[in-house]
Amino acid sequence: MNGLIRKGGRVGERESGRCSVSPSPPLLSLSLVFNAIKLFALLVIIYWLAAPPPILVTWGPQQVVRAANPKVGVHTRLTDEVEEWKIKKTLEMVREMGAPWIVEYFPWGYIESDEGQYDWSHADLVVDHARRQGLTVIARLGFVPNWARPKDSVTSYLDESRYPHFANFMRAFVTHFKGRVQYVVVWNEPNLNFEWGYRPVDPAGYTRLLQAAYLAAKQADPTVQILAGALAPTLAPTGATDAMSDLEYLQKMYDAGARDFFDALAIHAYGWKSPADEPPALDRVNFRRSELLREIMVRNGDAAKRALITEGGWNDHPRWTKAVHPAERIQHTLRAYEIASRWEWLDACALWAFRYPFPAQTYQDYFTFVTPDFDPKPIYWEVQKYAAH
Amino acid sequence: MPRTSQRSTAAGRKSQVAGGRSQATNRRSWFARLRLGTWDLRPGTLPVVIVVAVALAYLAYTTFAPKPPPQPDATWTRILEEGVFRIGIDPSFPPFESDDGKGNLSGLDIALADEFVRDWSNANAGSVRVEYVYTGFDGLYDALKAGQFDAIISALPYDPKKTEDVRFSHSYFNGGPLIVVRESDATTKSYYDLEGRRVGVELGSTGDIFARKWQRRLKYDLSEFNTPTDALRALRLGQVDGVFTDIIAYNEIARVEGGVKTVGKPLINELTVIAVRKDTPTLLAQINGVIDAMNGDGRMERLWGQWLVGSGQ
Repeated sequence: MNGLIRKGGRVGERESGRCSVSPSPPLLSLSLVFNAIKLFALLVIIYWLAAPPPILVTWGPQQVVRAANPKVGVHTRLTDEVEEWKIKKTLEMVREMGAPWIVEYFPWGYIESDEGQYDWSHADLVVDHARRQGLTVIARLGFVPNWARPKDSVTSYLDESRYPHFANFMRAFVTHFKGRVQYVVVWNEPNLNFEWGYRPVDPAGYTRLLQAAYLAAKQADPTVQILAGALAPTLAPTGATDAMSDLEYLQKMYDAGARDFFDALAIHAYGWKSPADEPPALDRVNFRRSELLREIMVRNGDAAKRALITEGGWNDHPRWTKAVHPAERIQHTLRAYEIASRWEWLDACALWAFRYPFPAQTYQDYFTFVTPDFDPKPIYWEVQKYAAH
Repeated sequence: MPRTSQRSTAAGRKSQVAGGRSQATNRRSWFARLRLGTWDLRPGTLPVVIVVAVALAYLAYTTFAPKPPPQPDATWTRILEEGVFRIGIDPSFPPFESDDGKGNLSGLDIALADEFVRDWSNANAGSVRVEYVYTGFDGLYDALKAGQFDAIISALPYDPKKTEDVRFSHSYFNGGPLIVVRESDATTKSYYDLEGRRVGVELGSTGDIFARKWQRRLKYDLSEFNTPTDALRALRLGQVDGVFTDIIAYNEIARVEGGVKTVGKPLINELTVIAVRKDTPTLLAQINGVIDAMNGDGRMERLWGQWLVGSGQ
């Protein structure tokens, strides 16, 4: 076509000079070009009008959580939440419920998927939106990257030879979030073998991991609070292969010298089928089992240390043997927040779990306060009422 | 003017343009006069027809030709050789599975697993037994992948997110909430029929979440009760016209007190399935074969009757 315009000749004229049958003026060629340009412009406009605009997410004004009970908290699950507006919406709803504390999981393998290369973008979004909503973030670290574990091992498998690598990550994390994240939990439920790489649980081994992480964190920021434990409440008998009692495990941590390597204890306080007021007992998993962990701290000379509940609560699955009815769950949850407010050694009570990014399709869905579609469950409204008074 | 005439005329014009070659073209035009149904088979179309025919023949061959039987997978071979079918289970979900504290398991899933090994033993003239591996629900998928057992049979809900990692069997139970009405109610067939009426649910249940969503459209009065039993009793007493609840809660009332029935299909599908590793297609086919057979010969319904009394499904 360019050749035709350049020559100003006729349609069908070719370099060879041979002509076709019908002559046509040069203007026709030009008008075809103009029409093509107009058509192209029209298509661009249609595309522009039809294409959905990107969702604009602004930080919004600095918010303050209004809560009668300053210890109310929840564990959010924003790790796998991709869209920024959903991150912001989740944290807004936490604030509107009246919870000043959140616990959030920051997987090592997501942030340092290549050794020494850190991608903080998603973690920054979560932390900065949380802070804008007036929330205090407790960060939980775990999830071993592929490069730091054997092929085909699970993400909770961390060989002792890799402890320095985890310590490096801890140092980088604390440095990056200095002044923004003041509480960091080391690992999750190491008294369960599936959280310990399907190996026999090892309180002394965990204590060595805690020591490495603690020293690295304090190098980066001496004021950061390192939380240990986060033990799963369990009645596993001595010698069980899949788990160790949380009480036994904590004492063995102290025996291994853990006392010098944490600032506060992270507690998991699940109620299973018991009401929040049920007294603690060695053979019961209930909310007040937290008091037994506290006793172990005191017995080991750690009375001055604080504790924070970083997981806990009740489940209302219709069939799970450890679940209660939704109405009971509401009663127990409100009572638990009330009990927590009176424990002077406790700073926060963050219950599991505020919302999942997508349905878990298991009993886990019945721990949440809000559905993946942001529909508040009745428990959300009841906690909001409680927190407002 | 008939189509053939138009085409002939067009062909003639083309011949003129070509300049004196019309006779030769006409001699070759037996192609043009060939017809396939109502379509002319014209010059240049034959290669296309051949290609399409070959493609169709290939498709038919690959679809209908007898295939050599696939090689049994290693897991299935081992199950038959050792006579042991290993199942991962968390016995915390009655009436699907529970442990009496002495290691004795019972429930729908246990009975189902017994059916599997019975059918396999009969079909393979050998003896296959079940061996259970207790695993916390959260660790079931990892343990399956790690080869600690052959299948998960543990009131396992279908999860589309897991289909990259495991293979799921056909569903053998749908646990989604149902519509329950009084036995005398002959008009209610679906939740649409409850428009403007009174609906009861258990506070915070899946039925409650469903009811809240549809309330904006169907404008029914929604009453929330502390337990599903309370909601169903309110139904019997005429305080509500329909209840959204799960089959287990319904059965407890239907069996003991009566006066209620379920209508329609589950409001939400909550499919219960079995998971196997991706490299065990034969085992999956064997499991599906037994589930399908049980659905066909009434055994599945009998199991529901035994463990979920009068499920009505």
